Amino acid sequence: MINTVILSYVTFGYFAAFMAYLCMMVMGRDILGRAATAITLATLGVHTFAIILRWVESYQLGIGHAPMSNLYESLIFFAWTIVLLYVLVEWRTRNRSIGAFATPLAFLAMAYASYSPNVTERIQPLVPALKSNWLIAHVITCFFGYAAFGIAFGLSIMFLLKRRQSPGGRSTFLSLIPSPSLLDELIYQMVLIGFLLLTLGIITGSVWAHSAWGSYWSWDPKETWSLITWLVYAALLHSRLIRGWRGKRIALLSIVGFACVLFTYFGVNYLAGLHSYAKV
Amino acid sequence: MKPKDSAQKNYAAWRFFSSVRLTLVLLILLAAVSIVGTVIPQRQGMQEFAQGLSPGMLEVFRALQLFDVYHSFWFRILISTLALNLIVCSLDRLPATLRRLRSSPKPDRKKPFEETPPEHRFRTDRAVGEVAGVVEPLFRKKYKKTSRKDGESEVFLYGERGRLSLFAVYVVHLSVLLILAGGIVGSTLGFEAFVNIPEGGSVDTARLRDTRSPKPLGFRVECLDFDVSFYENGSPKEYRAELRFVGGESTQEATLRVNHPFTFQGIRFYQASYGSIPGNAVELLIRREGSPGAETRVHARRGEEVPLPGGEGAFVVDDIRQDFMRMGMGPAVRIAVQPTAGEDLAFWVFLHPERVASRFSESFRAFPKLNPSAFEPYTFLLSDVETRYYTGLQVNRDPGVPFVWAGFFLIVFGLFAAFFTSHRRVWIRIEAAGDGTLVRVAGTSNKNPVGAEREMTQLASRLREHLGAQGRQA
Repeated sequence: MINTVILSYVTFGYFAAFMAYLCMMVMGRDILGRAATAITLATLGVHTFAIILRWVESYQLGIGHAPMSNLYESLIFFAWTIVLLYVLVEWRTRNRSIGAFATPLAFLAMAYASYSPNVTERIQPLVPALKSNWLIAHVITCFFGYAAFGIAFGLSIMFLLKRRQSPGGRSTFLSLIPSPSLLDELIYQMVLIGFLLLTLGIITGSVWAHSAWGSYWSWDPKETWSLITWLVYAALLHSRLIRGWRGKRIALLSIVGFACVLFTYFGVNYLAGLHSYAKV
Repeated sequence: MKPKDSAQKNYAAWRFFSSVRLTLVLLILLAAVSIVGTVIPQRQGMQEFAQGLSPGMLEVFRALQLFDVYHSFWFRILISTLALNLIVCSLDRLPATLRRLRSSPKPDRKKPFEETPPEHRFRTDRAVGEVAGVVEPLFRKKYKKTSRKDGESEVFLYGERGRLSLFAVYVVHLSVLLILAGGIVGSTLGFEAFVNIPEGGSVDTARLRDTRSPKPLGFRVECLDFDVSFYENGSPKEYRAELRFVGGESTQEATLRVNHPFTFQGIRFYQASYGSIPGNAVELLIRREGSPGAETRVHARRGEEVPLPGGEGAFVVDDIRQDFMRMGMGPAVRIAVQPTAGEDLAFWVFLHPERVASRFSESFRAFPKLNPSAFEPYTFLLSDVETRYYTGLQVNRDPGVPFVWAGFFLIVFGLFAAFFTSHRRVWIRIEAAGDGTLVRVAGTSNKNPVGAEREMTQLASRLREHLGAQGRQA
């Protein structure tokens, strides 16, 4: 199928964008930054086209559904949400340094989807439980939430790096990273967006589970881990809003939060895998 | 509930439960113990894990309810403490919020103007009164609760917006409580059960999931038909059960599919699983040795007497099994032969005799009960067993759901308002300065100071545009 071929090239597009952002950070040349943005935008365009193409191809196969139904499709969509959200952030902040921390996330998601032997890229028909209008709402809200947390994670790493900058230090890389106070504010904004969307994702999943399985909450590992993630970010918000935590603590909490996101997304399968391994 | 006497507020308990430090500890603790529940197999999954534990450890796990973390007493204590913390916190802070809501600050306050950045002020050549005449209607359009005070050669304006944002956090906390309340209502007044109904069969009781005890439904459910369809790649496409509900006067038919449950008299039915059981019809191949030799295909129904082709008597298929002795040997039927002369005898005949051959030694198969040629001169071969589907239904009643849904609805609005709106108070000072007028704006916000700064800059430049001022900054 042509869409998977295009998507495997998209992986390289994001890698090229990452390299361009990185070169810009090291050499401090503005032209490299503009090139990085151009590569990112062009790749995002191709990426969008490939997702639509995959959607169309599924209908041509007679099993039409939105391309959000298995690990491959969700990884492709995850990368797409990260880049889309990043482009908006770049546009709003007029700062390209964040790109060096956001595009690698998209590249890794794409590479995992395209080149891992454990991820099937075939278009599969929907099993009965997935045949629901809630599928699209659930996937979109969850993954935009994950993407916002992912960018908050990138910003947190930037924050921790920026702290190492000695006054009067001449590292181009560190001087291009925005000021700690701006990073702190951006982390907070991203977490707000992510938290609202994660809440919506849990709610849509819950309403869906109620109509598919008869229970809006059954403590299955994925549900539980999404709640754990929610609790961690709720703790972050309370510590910042009420106790006035700023800076390093918030950055660290945001990194812990994103680790929970990743565990909710991938680790849960690994958990189940651990158990089946232990049974042998 | 809130103590009126402020001295009472010093009660250690109130301070303890109204602290955000407690909230943080509880949130992190809940997250941590939730992890425990995803690492240790819960409920049905525990058996295998428990076998690997020493008896002492098993006792410890049981005592701490580690095999059902999310329904354990200590998990409930954590949740209840969080709920109490939420309530006390909200009650503790509500009076201040109400005061802020009711208060209307004086228009001529000086403090907000202590550090006015240049973007928030401008000069115009027009007179104070004239400027106020232009500014006030514009200001009133955008801000509520506006007030004005006129000084000797000055005009002061005050206004605010986004007052509802002050309550957003209470809405969020209330919705969390609603969701928890829904959970309690559901687990105390509702039930979760399951039932299997074969095609053509009916039930009036289901089995509770937790205690496995029967739960009378108060009406009868018949399964008229069940169907499963597959995609070309073999994965399931659709499960469909045609059901009829018969309760007192009313009878209703419904099609049940995954994601399309059906509610009858307050009880919801979900298509959850399916399986097959043998029906009542079988097809047999009866071989008669000697003279006259013959091979006859016979359709028999359970319990129905069938004459033997040679006329030596009759036989009855008196038992049909889906899986003989549950040993993976496949379907089997028991043939009970009643010959006209000699003793009755019965033996099992298999659909897949090769499986039996691979499992059992020759001598065992010589055992008459498993020998298809036990009644000479006949050999019975089983060629087909009718299968019937049964549908596995999840049967629930959950009166807590409306509370949960209300909580979901409110929390989304609450979070949106809490995160992206803020309560802004704005002051404007219009005063004579030299031969012109100086206009200054200042604002405070309960959150998002960056956004408030931007709003003040925009307000100042909009006013300047409307006044046609030269933009000379003072």
